[in-house]
Amino acid sequence: MYQLYNPVQHVKTPILFFTGKGGVGKTSAACATAVSLADQGYKVLLVSTDPASNLQDVFGVELRSEPTEIPKAENLFASNIDPEESARAYREKTVGPYRGKLPESVVNQMEEQLSGACTVEIAAFDEFSHLLADESTLTNFDYVLFDTAPTGHTLRLLSLPTAWNGFLEESTHGASCLGPLSGLGDKKDMYGKAVQALSDSEKTTLILVARPEESTLIEANRASSELREIGIQNHMLIINGLLQSHDTNDEVAAAFYGSQQDALAEMPKALKLIDTLSIPYVPYSLTDIASLRQLVSDNPFVLTEDNDEGIELNQLAELRDVIDDFSAKNTRVIFTMGKGGVGKTTVASSIAVGLSEKGHKVHLTTTDPASHLDYMFKNSAVDENLSISSIDPELEVEKYKKEVISAAGHLGEEELAYLKEDLESPCTEEIAVFRAFADVVARSENEIVVIDTAPTGHTLLLLDSSEAYHKEMSRSTGSTPESVKALLPRLRNPQETEVVIVTLAEATPVFESTRLQEDLKRAQIVPKWWIINRSLSAAGTEDKVLKMRASSEKQWIKNIDNELSGRCALIPWTKKAILNNDHKVTQS
Amino acid sequence: MKKVEIFDPAMCCSTGVCGPSVDPDLTRVASAVYSLEKKGANITRYNLANDPSAFTDNKTVNQVLHEKGADALPVTLLDNEVVRVGSYPTNEDFAEWFGTETEELTQKPQVRVSINLD
Repeated sequence: MYQLYNPVQHVKTPILFFTGKGGVGKTSAACATAVSLADQGYKVLLVSTDPASNLQDVFGVELRSEPTEIPKAENLFASNIDPEESARAYREKTVGPYRGKLPESVVNQMEEQLSGACTVEIAAFDEFSHLLADESTLTNFDYVLFDTAPTGHTLRLLSLPTAWNGFLEESTHGASCLGPLSGLGDKKDMYGKAVQALSDSEKTTLILVARPEESTLIEANRASSELREIGIQNHMLIINGLLQSHDTNDEVAAAFYGSQQDALAEMPKALKLIDTLSIPYVPYSLTDIASLRQLVSDNPFVLTEDNDEGIELNQLAELRDVIDDFSAKNTRVIFTMGKGGVGKTTVASSIAVGLSEKGHKVHLTTTDPASHLDYMFKNSAVDENLSISSIDPELEVEKYKKEVISAAGHLGEEELAYLKEDLESPCTEEIAVFRAFADVVARSENEIVVIDTAPTGHTLLLLDSSEAYHKEMSRSTGSTPESVKALLPRLRNPQETEVVIVTLAEATPVFESTRLQEDLKRAQIVPKWWIINRSLSAAGTEDKVLKMRASSEKQWIKNIDNELSGRCALIPWTKKAILNNDHKVTQS
Repeated sequence: MKKVEIFDPAMCCSTGVCGPSVDPDLTRVASAVYSLEKKGANITRYNLANDPSAFTDNKTVNQVLHEKGADALPVTLLDNEVVRVGSYPTNEDFAEWFGTETEELTQKPQVRVSINLD
C-alpha cells in the first residue's frame, strides 16, 4: 500500500537525517540509502552514531570518527561516532586531572553530574555540528547521511539566548544541560551554522523511520512535530519491515500481518500527511553490502538462505518460571525495565496477575498512558488480590514543573525560559515519575508492587548523592521527599526488589538493554531475570519469511542467555490483544 | 574590602531540576551574589563541575574537602577563612560581611547579551 523506498528516486536533498525509536532500523535504512546512492556514482558520506550497529562488519573496515573510504563500495565513505564515548572523553578530560588531587567523593560527584542523558545528547550534537558547519563537507560529498538526528530538546536549548551569554557564568542556573560544553562561547558560530543547515529544506530532509507498530509510529509523530516546531520542515516517513505477503494458512503469519495493518490504520493523523514509503519485511539479515543494496532495490524479496543452523540453544525458562521465582522468594517490589515498545507493560501485567493467582496481594502500577490497564482488567474479573493504579508521566511532569517553577521564586523572563528548557530534559520525566512511584511503593505496605518502568542508575545516583548532600544542608528547604528517601535502600536490597529486563531478540533492543543494565549496576542494582518478549522463534510459525527471521533471533537469545542475564525467559510472539474482545488493547 | 569565595558542589542543573527537588536557596544565593557583584563587592563562586582547579588550587578548601569529603560543599571563605561548610551563607551573613542591607540583596540578575540562533 506504500510505494517501496528507492533512494535514487526519493532522496531530494544532500543532507539526510534518519530518526526514530531505537530498533526501527535507522542505521539499516541509512546504510542502504548510502550504498544505493554511491552505486549511482555519487560521493556519499555516512555518519553513524549507532553503537549497536554492525557497520564495521558490513563494510569490512574499521571505522573512526574521521571519514573512512569503504573499499567494497566505490564512492562511499563512512564514519562512526559514539556519543557516549564523546561524552566519556569529555568527562575524563574534565575530571581526570583531579583524581588524587581531590578526595574520591568529590571526584565522584563531578563525574555523576556529567553522566546524564543531556551530556550524551549535547556531545552528539557537537559531533554533528563539526560536520554540518564545515563547508568542505558538502563540497567533498554529494550526500551526507546521519543515522540519527538531534533531539528537539538539544536544539531548543541551544537556541535560547541564555545559552550564549555571560549570564551562564554568573551561575544562577549553572551550566545546566549544557555542562559538557563549558567553552560554549567558541562554538556559537558552529552551532548556528549547523542549525541553519538543518532548517534549510533545500539542503536537509528529516527521514522518520518507523515500524508498522503503534509505539514507533507515535514516536515518529512526536519527533516530527517537535522538529517541525523548531523549523525543520522537510520530512519523509519510511515504514520499515512491512510484511508484503504472507502464508494465509499460518496462524502466526496472519496475526502478524493483521497487527501491522491495524497499526498503520491507526497511524497518527499528522503522519498521514507526510510522504510515506516502505521498506519490505525481508527474511535475510543485513550483514553485507549486497543485502543492503538488495533491500532498497527493485527486487528486494529474493530469498536467500540464512544459515543459523549452527546455533544450539539451551532450554529456556518461561514467564511462569519468573512468577514462581518471585512467589517463592516473596519479592516485594518488581520493576520491568526496557526501552519503549518492547512490551514492559504487558509483561508487568502478566507478572502481577500470575502472582495474584498464587494468592499474593499485588498492586500493579503502569506509567504507560496507552496501556488501558483499567480496561484490560475490567472484564476479566480482577480477583480481590489485585489492585491497579496508573501514573501519567505527562501529568507528573507537569506537576513537578509547577512545583519547581513556583519554588524557584520570581524569575526574569529569560531565566524562566531557561529553567523551563532545563525541565524539558529527559532527566525531568525520570525524576518526576520516580517520585510518583516512590509514593505508590510507600503506600503499599502489605502488597507486592509491580511497576512497568524502572529508574535509571543515573537517576538513582543523583537522588542518592543529593540525599547525602541535603543531610548536610539543614537550611535547605528543597528537600528530598520522605517516600523517595525510603525507597532508595529498598531498591538496593535484592531480597526485596527485583528489576526485570524486558527486551526483544534483535540487535538494538539487546544493546540498549545491556546499557540499561550497566547503568543500573553503577547504582548497585543487579537485574537477574531477562525476559525476551515477542519471540517469533518461540511462536512456531511455518511462514517462510517469518521462519527465516525467527532463526536470526537465535544469536541474540544465546547471547542473552549466556552472557547478559542471570536467568532468561522467553515469551512467544502473540497477537497483541490480551483480552479477546472487539476493543483494541494496546501493548506497550 | 572583604573578599568572599563560595565553592559550590558539582551541579549539572544547579536549579535542582535534575535532582530530587528544586532548591530555592540556590536562586536566593545567585541573586544575592549578583547584587553584590554589581555593587563592586569582591565575591566569587566556583562550581566544581566547571571549575575544579579552584578546588585544588585553594589550599584551605582542598584541606576541608580532604577532611570531610564532598558533603562539605558548599564551602564559603571570608578573607581566606572558612566561615561556612555544607550550606550557603544567609542574606544576613552577606549583609554583615559587606555592610549592606538584606533588602538590597534580593534583586534579580538581568540578562545582558541576547543572541538568537534562529
